[in-house]
Amino acid sequence: MSQVYIEYDFKISPLQPGTEILIAELGAAGFESFVENEDGVQAYIQKEEWREDILSDIFILESDEFEITYGQRDIAQVNWNSEWEKNFDPIVVSDQCAVRAPFHKEYNVPYEIVIEPKMSFGTGHHETTYMILKFLLETDLKDQTVLDMGCGTSVLAILASMRGATTIDAIDIDEWCVENSKENVARNNCSYINIALGDASTISEVTKYDTIIANINRNILLNDMHVYANAMKVNASLFLSGFYLEDLPLITECCNNLNLEFVENKEKNNWVAAHFIKKE
Amino acid sequence: MAKEVSKVVKLQVRGGAANPSPPVGPALGAAGVNIMEFCKQFNARTQDKQGKVLPVAITVYKDKSFDFVIKTPPAAVQILEAVKIKKGSGEPHVKKVGTITWDQVRAIAEDKMPDLNAFTVESAMKMVAGTARSMGIKTKGDAPFN
Repeated sequence: MSQVYIEYDFKISPLQPGTEILIAELGAAGFESFVENEDGVQAYIQKEEWREDILSDIFILESDEFEITYGQRDIAQVNWNSEWEKNFDPIVVSDQCAVRAPFHKEYNVPYEIVIEPKMSFGTGHHETTYMILKFLLETDLKDQTVLDMGCGTSVLAILASMRGATTIDAIDIDEWCVENSKENVARNNCSYINIALGDASTISEVTKYDTIIANINRNILLNDMHVYANAMKVNASLFLSGFYLEDLPLITECCNNLNLEFVENKEKNNWVAAHFIKKE
Repeated sequence: MAKEVSKVVKLQVRGGAANPSPPVGPALGAAGVNIMEFCKQFNARTQDKQGKVLPVAITVYKDKSFDFVIKTPPAAVQILEAVKIKKGSGEPHVKKVGTITWDQVRAIAEDKMPDLNAFTVESAMKMVAGTARSMGIKTKGDAPFN
């Protein structure tokens, strides 16, 4: 949780094309992102990626065509999303599952999930989360072994647990999500969920799952699909989301090549959630 | 009725890699936007430009909703890519660090036309060539216009 970013604040004259060239050079040197403003640009890099001489390769700083001054400061990672999180509406899926914050009133539904997201993804508001929750409500998960890859708040793992799954692994690459998952899992009294930090290489080579859920993005799904396929029992289900309708053919092709057969998909505002089954 | 604009945030973020840290986090979070929603959308829309620095203009409305427009990479970024170098020159007029062809200049100019204040491809090409010159990159041969 000790993530720190370094911000450089550059003042540039003349502004153009100085700003543009500076951003191009900083980008090539490893800076992640930039904010353009009236007198220059702010540039950001994670402290872990930063090195003492990072600006030594930025040649525009030496150019006599531009006058550039700068300052630098550390910015500690905090919950930047707290403004939204203190006042969002609860979500109800198929009249059966409610996802709400601790400050909302209780819901009289079979599956009531309480989430305090703290800048993790998975409150049910996003179409992709909503559609996977729907899939899980339509699927028999009793006594199953389930993997939630890229778990975010662990909202999907929690519903899987409430639906009867008895061994659930929830994995995320982000430390904040892992911490947040632990809090949400405890808050909802789900004792069968194991939470781990990591990417697809964290997935056990021994455990075979009845159901795998991955709501991430197209490129990561395509890259890691073989790992998921390998970790599934025959006839196991794979629920994928985090991509648009136009990317479904690519995802389906990748799955077909791994003996994963397309069953059906849901669509909401051009977002897709798709169900595949592993064949023998 | 059109929604009332609260603010416009201009960022440059790598394709497929938006996350809720600075500058995305503080810039959008303070306005009450759900940052996670922005990151998911931006990343899904930029999967074909993974890792490239992309300008994005985000309009935040008074009701905390937002929309955004993603532009193609800045001309200077495209120039470095075209010339296959990572940095310009500290003495752009004395020390040249690379050469760009007019065809490459034209391709970048046509790509950036909508974002440049240029009415013709020619004037956009002059701007791109000027940026290249300020980086210590020569244009190869005579300009294909007067």
